[in-house]
Formats: sequence, structure tokens, C-alpha cells
Amino acid sequence: MSLPQKYLKVVSELVTPGAIGVALLLGSAAPAAASPDPAGQQSTRAQDERVSERLAAIREAVSAVSGPQTQTEGRAGDQRLAWHNGWGNGFGFGFGNPWGNFNFGQPWNNWHNWRNGWGNW
Amino acid sequence: MPRIQLVVIQPTPFCNIDCRYCYLPQRTSKAVIAEQTIANLFSQVFASGWAEDGLTVIWHAGEPMVLPIDFYRRAFRLIDQLKPAELGLTHAFQTNGTLIDDDWCAFFAEQRVNIGVSVDGPGRLHDVNRVTRAGRGTFDRTIAGIRRLRHHGVPFHVISVLSAESLAAPREMFDFFVSEGIDRVCFNVEESEGDHVSRSFGEAGIEDAYYRFLREFWRLAAASPGKFAFIREIDEATRVVLRPKEAVFFNQLVEPFAITSMDWAGNIATFSPELLGLKNAGYDDFILGNINRDQLTELAEGPVLGKMQADIAAGVELCRQRCEYFSICGGGEPVNKLAENGSFVSTETTFCRMTKMRATDLVLDLLDLVGQRSTELSDAGIRSLGTELPAGGSRSDALPLV
Repeated sequence: MSLPQKYLKVVSELVTPGAIGVALLLGSAAPAAASPDPAGQQSTRAQDERVSERLAAIREAVSAVSGPQTQTEGRAGDQRLAWHNGWGNGFGFGFGNPWGNFNFGQPWNNWHNWRNGWGNW
Repeated sequence: MPRIQLVVIQPTPFCNIDCRYCYLPQRTSKAVIAEQTIANLFSQVFASGWAEDGLTVIWHAGEPMVLPIDFYRRAFRLIDQLKPAELGLTHAFQTNGTLIDDDWCAFFAEQRVNIGVSVDGPGRLHDVNRVTRAGRGTFDRTIAGIRRLRHHGVPFHVISVLSAESLAAPREMFDFFVSEGIDRVCFNVEESEGDHVSRSFGEAGIEDAYYRFLREFWRLAAASPGKFAFIREIDEATRVVLRPKEAVFFNQLVEPFAITSMDWAGNIATFSPELLGLKNAGYDDFILGNINRDQLTELAEGPVLGKMQADIAAGVELCRQRCEYFSICGGGEPVNKLAENGSFVSTETTFCRMTKMRATDLVLDLLDLVGQRSTELSDAGIRSLGTELPAGGSRSDALPLV
């Protein structure tokens, strides 16, 4: 199976309506602590495909699955897609405003009803 | 035109504790920012038109809570008076938590301040590095502050610096957060910055240790739905990898003024916030100018920024050319490049291998595992169809759910 096909299949399953949060789903696939180190597994670094190609294929798959809604609604919040501000020993900054309009993980403003969450919401 | 998303203010360099990994050189100084300096900054930030809606003002290192509540009441009022009515602005504190009491909690709730507390895990891990000047652990005071926040219903997150010891103890870290009702967690790694040389970065296998820690913490969190609302490293890695191709990536740390930092004296810096306070002759200590003397908009044309921007952009370009992970990183963190490689014009660091590459590897590996599991289930279902399908009948309702 080609990379785009492979990730289209995986991403489609992740965003199945009614599916649990993506973080929960992925975390549930994690092997237990006693599993071998990543270097000893058929891990990301051991595979033939280049990481950049895999990442690009995933983005293609997400766009394909999320459809045109992404392209029209995605722009508004795209600047929020910054890598975490985990700067400094002991310092840094966590996330947005937890007091109201609680929104810490949705970078694309309703581009899809797919929750990147930790619960069934 | 620059877009200011985050303003970091050091109202005093003083900190009431003395963490072993702290890179701030002036944390014994009890200097305090003047109200006029705050007024000069915000009048210019708002007049510049650079401030983005949803601007966050974070009161940061030293320890912001060594100043009295009244100081912040006046500062918040002043900023509010200067702020355009239509601009959303949120205040945030990053604190060691040792000074949190009922009055502070009432203030945080009244002003809806976002709180981040630095706690490195249970006492045996926290007290290794987070100590007083006398060398005593601060865990008891920090956890008392966290419990005060919870008692008053003040939302907060924690930032935990992971040492080699805590990287080996994901279950202990997980149990600690759950037992204390801490459901929003951010992990930092102990970095080399300024004069501080990371002990963790010298450990053999530290990158894989980070991968294993994150994987196990993720697995535990997934097995306990509802215990966590936010795990920054996992949520961020997931959303950055699983984003549509149309989403524009933006690395705040390499964009001038996206993060604008100011110290107590009015000195202005940008890019990585840790740069403010560090010494460097080549970049004039990273200080672009002083808000009490200079115009903010003119700093964008200044020689210090020009030199930094050129070198940081050259480093980003090297990352773009050489790094497989560029699309999820955007060129890394300047302060780490400088501390580890000696130059902004460089690429990989231990910091980025740990926090970006290994975190991304983990998401990719888990996606592959989900795919493999799904394929195995589908194959089993197809085989089942072949053997169990009644003649002429449909068994679509018997397909395995994945």
C-alpha cells in the first residue's frame, strides 16, 4: 500500500464520527512500558520511508478526509499552529485561556468536528 | 508587519527560590519595574497595530508573586486603560507556587488570570532541583499552593522539567498528577541555556528515554479517560502532525516580535524569551532597545534585530534544507541552537531531537500501530466472512468495528 493510501486509511478511521478522541485512540495503541526501545523496533527511524514524506502524506490525508471545509475555515486560526512554547527550564507557557471558551487544542477553529481530546466529547 | 502574540514581562528579576537548573543570572536582584515602564510598553504595543487579538501577557521570571497583589491590580488597570476596547487580552503568571495563598487565589479568580505552576513531580523528584538558597526542597510549599488553587477552583496547568530520574519514572509522575488532581500538564526538558549546562543532555540514551517516557505516559493517560484535559507535548505533537496541508505553520520563536519580552528596566528582546537576561557581546546581550528611550516600531529597523534576524533566518533555512522534521518544527528554537551549537546559524540540537523529533516519531509510530491493528482486524473479518457467510446471505453487520 502506498504512503498516501496507508495514511488515508488510518486518518479516515481516526476521524470516524463518534470515534473517541484522537489522543485517546493513539495512546491506546501504545505498547506497555516493558516493550523494547524504539531503536530495537520497526520504528519510525528504521523504516524505509522518509519522515518528511510520511508527514506530507498524513497532511494530504487529513485534508482529503476533512474536505473543503478545511480550506475555507482553516485560515482563521492557522497562526495558532505554533509549536509549543516550552521554553526555559521550569518556565514556559502552557496554553490559551482556561477560564472560558476553553480552547487549547483546536488550531483550526471548527475546521472539522474531530476532537483532539482526551475524553468522549 | 510584526504580529505580537505574546508579551513576556519580567517585573522583577528576583526569585525567592534558587533552582539548580535556572539560567537567569540576576535572580538575586530585587529591582522592580516602574509603572511608567509598563505604560510605555503597552501604549506603544497598542499604538503599533502589531498586537494580535487574543494577546497574552505573561508575568514571568524571576518569581512574579514576590511582588504584592496591589502591584498587579494597578498594572492590570493601567494596561486595560491603554488597551483598545476591541482587543482581547489575557494575563498569565508562571510561578513556582510557593507564595500562593487565599488572597492570591481570589485575585486570580477575579482577574481570570491563567496560572502555570512549576512542579517537577513528587517530592523526591521535585526537590532534586527546585530548592531554596539554603538548599532545602520547595515541594511542600509548591504543592500547598497547588492545593490552594484547587480549593478555590482556580484553573491552572503545571510545567514539569524532566530530569533523567523523572524520565525513568513515567508511572510515578502519572500517579502524582492524578493523586493531586492535576489534569493539565506540560513537560519541559532540562535544557542547556545561558551558563547552565544540562545534566540530562549529557546522559547516554536521553532521547530514547524521552520517547519511552512520553509513550508510557500517553498509554497510561489513554487508559484513564477523563484524568487529563491537556498534555501539552502529546496534544501539540498530535495536532502538528495531524494537520491539513492547508494549515500554515508558524514558529513564534523565529518571528520577530511574535514573542516580545521586556525586563524590569524596559529592555526589549524577542525570539526565544530566555535570551532576555543572557550575555552575548556579538548581539549586544540580545537587547533591541529600551522602551523608556526608544520607539518600539523603530526597534524593528535596529542593527541588533537585523543581525539576529539574519542569523536566525539562516539557521531556519539550514533546517529547511537538512531536516526531515522541518514541517512540524519550522526551524527550531534559537536559544537552544546558540547554547548547544554556539550559533544561531545551525540546525539540530539535543533539545530538538528530544522534544520535536522523538515526539513526532512517537505519533508516527502510534499511527502505524493503529493502521496495523486495523488491517489485522479487517483481514480477520474478511477471513471470517469467507468461512461464515451463509450462502446468498449478507453479513455486513458482522464486520469488526475498528
